[in-house]
Amino acid sequence: MSSASVPVRDTNSSPATKQFWDSGPAGWNKTLTSPRVMIPFFLVAFATPLVLQYVEDNSSWIGAQYWTLILATCAMYACLAVALNLVVGYAGLLNLGFIAFFGIGSYAYALVASDQIHQRYPLWAAVLVVVVVTLAFALLVGVPALRLRGDYLAIVTLGFGLIMRDLILDLDRPPVLAGHQFGPDTLNITGGTNGIHQVQPFNLPASLPLLGPVPHYRMYYWIFVGFLALCIYCMIRWRNSRTGRAWVAIREDELAARAMGVNTFKYRLLAFSVSAVMAGIVGMINAAQIFNAFPSPNFDVQTTVMVFIMVILGGLGSIPGAILGAIAFTVPPFILQQFVFYKYLIISVVLIAVMIFRPEGLLGTVSIRPRKTMGGTLELITAEAAVEASELPAVSDAEAADLEATAGAIVEDPEWKS
Amino acid sequence: MEIVSQRPGVLQIRGLTRRFGGLTAVDRFDVDVNEGEIVSLVGPNGAGKTTVFNLISGVLRPSAGSILLNGRQLVGEPAHRITRLGVARTFQNIRVFPQLTVRENILLGTHHWTRSGMLGSVTFWPATTRAERAAQAEVDTAIDLFRERLEPRLEDPAFALSYANRRRTEIARALAARPKLLLLDEPAAGMNPYERIEMAGLIRSMRDRGVTIFLIEHHMPLVMEISDRVIVMDHGVKIAEGLPKEVHSNPRVVEAYLGRRATSA
Repeated sequence: MSSASVPVRDTNSSPATKQFWDSGPAGWNKTLTSPRVMIPFFLVAFATPLVLQYVEDNSSWIGAQYWTLILATCAMYACLAVALNLVVGYAGLLNLGFIAFFGIGSYAYALVASDQIHQRYPLWAAVLVVVVVTLAFALLVGVPALRLRGDYLAIVTLGFGLIMRDLILDLDRPPVLAGHQFGPDTLNITGGTNGIHQVQPFNLPASLPLLGPVPHYRMYYWIFVGFLALCIYCMIRWRNSRTGRAWVAIREDELAARAMGVNTFKYRLLAFSVSAVMAGIVGMINAAQIFNAFPSPNFDVQTTVMVFIMVILGGLGSIPGAILGAIAFTVPPFILQQFVFYKYLIISVVLIAVMIFRPEGLLGTVSIRPRKTMGGTLELITAEAAVEASELPAVSDAEAADLEATAGAIVEDPEWKS
Repeated sequence: MEIVSQRPGVLQIRGLTRRFGGLTAVDRFDVDVNEGEIVSLVGPNGAGKTTVFNLISGVLRPSAGSILLNGRQLVGEPAHRITRLGVARTFQNIRVFPQLTVRENILLGTHHWTRSGMLGSVTFWPATTRAERAAQAEVDTAIDLFRERLEPRLEDPAFALSYANRRRTEIARALAARPKLLLLDEPAAGMNPYERIEMAGLIRSMRDRGVTIFLIEHHMPLVMEISDRVIVMDHGVKIAEGLPKEVHSNPRVVEAYLGRRATSA
């Protein structure tokens, strides 16, 4: 009697959770990007500063503004990680100059919204300027560079990022080319190492219906979260459309994509430019938020690396992964401030562990390890050369015996005689 | 050995040559494929068969010669334009997109004849929605021939498929491109006898749907059974062409496969 009543462990105690867990990374992404997760997530994200304010008003805790600013930074990096995910995760293009577009966006806005060159455009015109300028730079780099692939593209874009940084640093004086000076001695476009100060914020109402007065820091938090929601919505729609399928196809197998009628150059350029424009708009919001456009974090290679780490940690191509990566890299440093000396040590250990145990990233499905084809160097060879190399006919005498054996088997096949 | 056909020509290749350095992989190759035909290209390994396919589909550029599809020159066109003009292909070493589902793989076939942009897909633009619906409907048509095999697998990623199902996916993807001419590179490679018989029936039904088929195949019984005409290549040169039964008794063909018999024992 007692043996019969031993309780059997109920494996179906929480079927929804178990089902979710069993669905694997692809299933997790699908569930997490569905509207029934995304809509509540963004509602919570929008409400968070109000909750923080409420707690501050009703307790001795102070820090609503501080934490809203941290979360705004977090949302900003999430936007960048999502934008980078478009170009690296979807289309598989290693764009190491990504952060330059963020910088270009911030400077483009700063120039038309400050006294630097005495231009103060209305918001809609400023947005247009930012989009056009980042798009122009994206095409300038993309049109020649996207004919290259893999490592070459990475080198060219890395070079572009560094050149842009130097350009911004040097344009506090008139450019000199071959002994000829362009513009008067007083010409100062970018402010050099100082950047551009006193950038005007967006001309937005200081109070909203129902919510009352909205402080600057909370408004910009909402703008970042709103833009993040827009980017994510677009990314999800694109991924399930003809465009997104073409991007992933190019990433997976460029030759087969071309054989299916995909104009690979066009779609690479599209991914590259759209991602650049997204980064540019994030840069613009950042400049308006902090009233400044700085050369230092805005164009630093370290910033590119940080956004890359967010994307890779979360998983290439995964949108929830990008958000997770952004949270993981912006929030803990503030919590663990007393461990500031160990910060990079902890981050390194975590990263190494992830790369060992989940090289695809936490929520990713694509490994960043090089493909095994052609000894891992396929990315360095043009498609045509790769095909040529793999197809050189076997003509050596040494292979004649092999050939004969194969042919013999065919001719000897009993069905052949029928 | 020339076959005079009454049917209009779909593919006309004249003097096709491709050199890799000092090696001539395809040498002054001529072929005509007529509408509704199944033409097989056979030959020993390294004879240049796949190179011919790569030249037709625009993966490689010919060193010389012309390729006409319904009278239109394909030489010089990029691969994606050639697909748009009506040539779809499969690859010898199957090239499905591993991270995409079977459905998405097949949807890639519809890429060139559907029109939908990035703005359309985020705004639910009616034309884009229609295009997407047409593409989804095409998946249903394309898997018609493999329904019981692929339908349960439609939402699985392609890397999780069996070898034979990957081939079927690749063929369905090519069919979704609505080609006039379909190039099949060893469609029965790695299949068991039962699956090979199935493949033979499949190739015939594709032809019956109005797709002209040009295939490379090593499995001779299959070639003999389904082909209207057989072309034999060796060292980049066409050595024989004709009805299946004419070709397989041709001494030059036997020699190409087995080598010349030594005169002194």
